[in-house]
Amino acid sequence: MLRELSALTRREFLKLARNPQAIFTSLLLPLLYLLLFGQGFNVKPPPDLLQYYFRGAPNYYSYFAAGMVGFVSVTSTLFIGANVIFDKLFGIFKRTRGTPAPSAAVFGSRLIAGAAQPILLAFFVLGLAILFSHVPGLTGLDVTASVGVVGAVEVLLAIVLLALMFATVFLTIGILLDVPQVYFAVVNLINLPVLLTSDALYPWGSMPPWLQTTSQFNPISLAVNVLREVFFGSGTYPYAPGVYLAGLLAWTVVLVGIAIVLVRRALRPLD
Amino acid sequence: MQASGAIVAEDLVKVYGGKVTAVDGVSFEVPHGQIFGFLGPNGAGKTTTVSMLSAGLRPTGGRAVIDGLEVSQNAEAVKRRIGVIFQESTADGDLTGRENLEVASGTYGISRSEGHFRAKTLIEEMHLSDAADRYAKTYSGGMRRRLELAVGLVHRPKILFLDEPTLGLDPQGRAGFWGFVQKLRAETGMTVFVTTHYLDEADTMCDRIAIIDHGKIVARGTPNELKDKLGGDVVTVKTAAGASDMSEVIRPLAGVSAVQRQGDSYRVKCTSGETLVPLAVEACYRAGAGVTGVTVKRPSLDEVFLEFTGREFREEEGPTATDKAVMMQRVRGALQGRR
Repeated sequence: MLRELSALTRREFLKLARNPQAIFTSLLLPLLYLLLFGQGFNVKPPPDLLQYYFRGAPNYYSYFAAGMVGFVSVTSTLFIGANVIFDKLFGIFKRTRGTPAPSAAVFGSRLIAGAAQPILLAFFVLGLAILFSHVPGLTGLDVTASVGVVGAVEVLLAIVLLALMFATVFLTIGILLDVPQVYFAVVNLINLPVLLTSDALYPWGSMPPWLQTTSQFNPISLAVNVLREVFFGSGTYPYAPGVYLAGLLAWTVVLVGIAIVLVRRALRPLD
Repeated sequence: MQASGAIVAEDLVKVYGGKVTAVDGVSFEVPHGQIFGFLGPNGAGKTTTVSMLSAGLRPTGGRAVIDGLEVSQNAEAVKRRIGVIFQESTADGDLTGRENLEVASGTYGISRSEGHFRAKTLIEEMHLSDAADRYAKTYSGGMRRRLELAVGLVHRPKILFLDEPTLGLDPQGRAGFWGFVQKLRAETGMTVFVTTHYLDEADTMCDRIAIIDHGKIVARGTPNELKDKLGGDVVTVKTAAGASDMSEVIRPLAGVSAVQRQGDSYRVKCTSGETLVPLAVEACYRAGAGVTGVTVKRPSLDEVFLEFTGREFREEEGPTATDKAVMMQRVRGALQGRR
């Protein structure tokens, strides 16, 4: 199993490395958001509402930069399933299935490579946003709390769990479907509602109460809450980061569980 | 049937969606070490049969046995014993030839060092050394096919399935590919199951042949046995336009076994074409029909195919498998250029 997983994972990373244009464009999208949207959409609430509006963040940009981690987790995993469909169309997936490699290795290799991208992008986003805070004339991510080792681990776990969850969802959809157009239609039905019902991009204080409530069950919000609480302090959060992490873990476990059932059925031998 | 051959199909049936019967009770046995040709028109059930034999598709009925193992109960073990070269090109274009082979060996649980060694050996055997570290997308059709053959052999299978392996290759590429397969068979005693659109290949390369049409086997035997079933040569006599029916004039001539009229032409099966031609021309002339053309054909698998399926091998509706392969190659090229 490990040899098969290792070989197939190597293939995924080789293919990724052979497409520098794809790497460049995946970096360009968050860069443009951080540079244009974040700088241009710098909401300034009344000073007495600042804490409430941005859940402890000193400004919108800092609040938004943490939300961008959730945003890239969705956008950079979208294509994982599409790659499976293209590999099906070109017969590469059929050849892999013609080998005795277990379906766990086929799925796992793509999951590892697929989740690695949003994880690396999340650190790229955070690094760039922090860098901007040191560039004259630009607003950046100001980390106002003392992060510490526990906080760093909590941030890492939130990023990894969110990436794994979305990579699992989109990979499973790609394995179940055969037509690229249908795949993108289904994926758009998922990514937009998930993003727009989270507090990744909206200032918390500007959200209607019903959206504030429902967004707290959204996996992106759960991950972003962990980041914001670690970066800006626990003042405005009812729960500790561990609670949000537990919620995110529950989402991940449930979705991975569903994926295992569906993928095993789709990839069982002789079908 | 005693399941002692390398490949045994017993009354195999595949029905898609409860309605379309792609394979309808196919039975045959391929002894170890033989090259077995499986011929048929597009949609006859060739690829479905290969998929059922190679643990890629569950049969609706019947059973397939590979090297003594029932496929439906031993899919993984069967996959370790067989190599499959698919109809479509499945080499990973973004990987080099060597990387394709190393990844393929890993999917069979072969260690990295052993996989590296096998890749090196196969690259040399397939004459791909100069291109081993080039991306597979830069390979010519023939090189790509040789790479795919190498990928199918990396785990040293006992049985090799080739589904239209020389589609889209030029004659030189086809000859080269078959040279490798024959060398392999001679050196390892490997059993080869091949579907092909090229009847000349089947004629010269295969020990035994089965012809499938509408999901059923319609003929089987060695190429010579099948040709002998036609009863010798086929002479086509073309008379002047508007001449009366010459069927009953030709039929009594010495050596004639069957006459088929197609407009002003008569397809005549006979023991010796050379002997029949002057007799037929003279008989037609005496009966008042001028002969405008005569051809003599030695029996070939094309004739066998026509006899058993009622169709010329190339006279098929819709795009042929070759057309589809060429089309897919163009789409792949266009997409790889964009990605």
